[in-house]
Amino acid sequence: MINSFLRGFVYFVVFVLIQVLVLNNIHFLRIATPFLYLYFILKMPVGVSRAQVVFFSFLVGFVIDLFSNTPGMHAAACTLAGFCREPLIAVFMGKDLPDGIYPSYRFFGFAGFLRYAFSFVLIHHTTLYLVESLTFFDPLFLLLRIVASVLLSTLLICTVEAFNIESQKSGE
Amino acid sequence: MRKLIEFLVRKRHWFLFVLLEAVSLLLLYRGNRYQQTVILSSANMLTGSVVSLSGSVASYLNLRDINKDLLERNGRLEARMLALQDQLEMLMADTVTFRGFVPDTTDSIPYTFVVADVVNNSVVRLFNYITINKGKLDGIEPDMGVVCERGAVGIVSTVSDHFSVVIPLLNPKLRLSCKVRGSGYFGSLNWDGRDALYANLEELPRHVDFQKGDTVVTSGYSAVFPPGIIVGTVAEFEKQHDDNFYSLRVRLAADFQALNNVRVIKNLRQAEQLRIEQEARKND
Repeated sequence: MINSFLRGFVYFVVFVLIQVLVLNNIHFLRIATPFLYLYFILKMPVGVSRAQVVFFSFLVGFVIDLFSNTPGMHAAACTLAGFCREPLIAVFMGKDLPDGIYPSYRFFGFAGFLRYAFSFVLIHHTTLYLVESLTFFDPLFLLLRIVASVLLSTLLICTVEAFNIESQKSGE
Repeated sequence: MRKLIEFLVRKRHWFLFVLLEAVSLLLLYRGNRYQQTVILSSANMLTGSVVSLSGSVASYLNLRDINKDLLERNGRLEARMLALQDQLEMLMADTVTFRGFVPDTTDSIPYTFVVADVVNNSVVRLFNYITINKGKLDGIEPDMGVVCERGAVGIVSTVSDHFSVVIPLLNPKLRLSCKVRGSGYFGSLNWDGRDALYANLEELPRHVDFQKGDTVVTSGYSAVFPPGIIVGTVAEFEKQHDDNFYSLRVRLAADFQALNNVRVIKNLRQAEQLRIEQEARKND
């Protein structure tokens, strides 16, 4: 229990810092920004109550907002994405996963994890960019930004997952 | 009754979800009125100190470019100083016999500068903001103009004790009164949210002639910037057939992607100007 709490805390701090100090400054071709901090939500153990997932998603979005001067945007997008996490897992992997495992290549398979991460990122980014451009109409540019960012974020998340020692070593 | 409570407990994630979304949207709504975001922005102490740490690292990485810039500017100023000295000598030689030439010393420039470091910056969002490491205690107040060594940057919007948030030209919320140097006609500069290198200068009367490469400067009408601060150069212009105004595409002079040191302009007479303008409007 303590162990998993500590692990969550470390993930939170590390990925928030990576996001606000490095990745927020990356704007590939001025259109795509990777949001790697979603990895924190993606890697929460299966079987955690949905209320907890929603709450921590909100929290991580809120902290990112504090750093990037976008009050509410990331929080809104993360809360929605966190809310959809369990249905996504149920759709792609079925409901009979043992509680307490972390989503990873090992348990989901490469394709499974990719689909899971991609759809999660898609929900988040679509909400984020829609909310951001509420007052601004330029649908094609908006679409381009969403697609490019989704691809970049998913690529980065899958890369980090491939190099994540923890998920190769043990599944618990 | 028990069934109802059980139902509520079982569906608690729904309520939490709705509640947190409501909180986010509330933040979003309030955050747009940017004066209230002092606490929830990078101007507060905790996040401010983290981003200023990363800002100080980033500023080391850019030292070479800044140095080059400064050297160039130094050279230009030196050349200008020499030219002025020449002129001064000429004038002095001329005025030896003309006692009527008395420089009006009371008409000094009513502007001073505060130098600040950029600690947080964004260029590709729709609404960009810059955080700088000087605040109320350094004499900075909302509505002061901010310039860098190349040209105008933006206007201070929110101020805390040690940090301030600047709305740069790269933010559609900001409209800056500018004119094309030499013509005297003024329009308003606005950013379209796409390219950090360009902004649009609109509402210029279409009978005026412009050339590509003309310099766009601040008009000084807003009391935020002194007149004549370089904003950019005309990149292209198109006559709109359906109305009587030009829309100029302006290549911004300030390099927003490599912003490190800025100067905040304090207009000592801004309050006075605003007050008298308000008074004049009251009489309408």
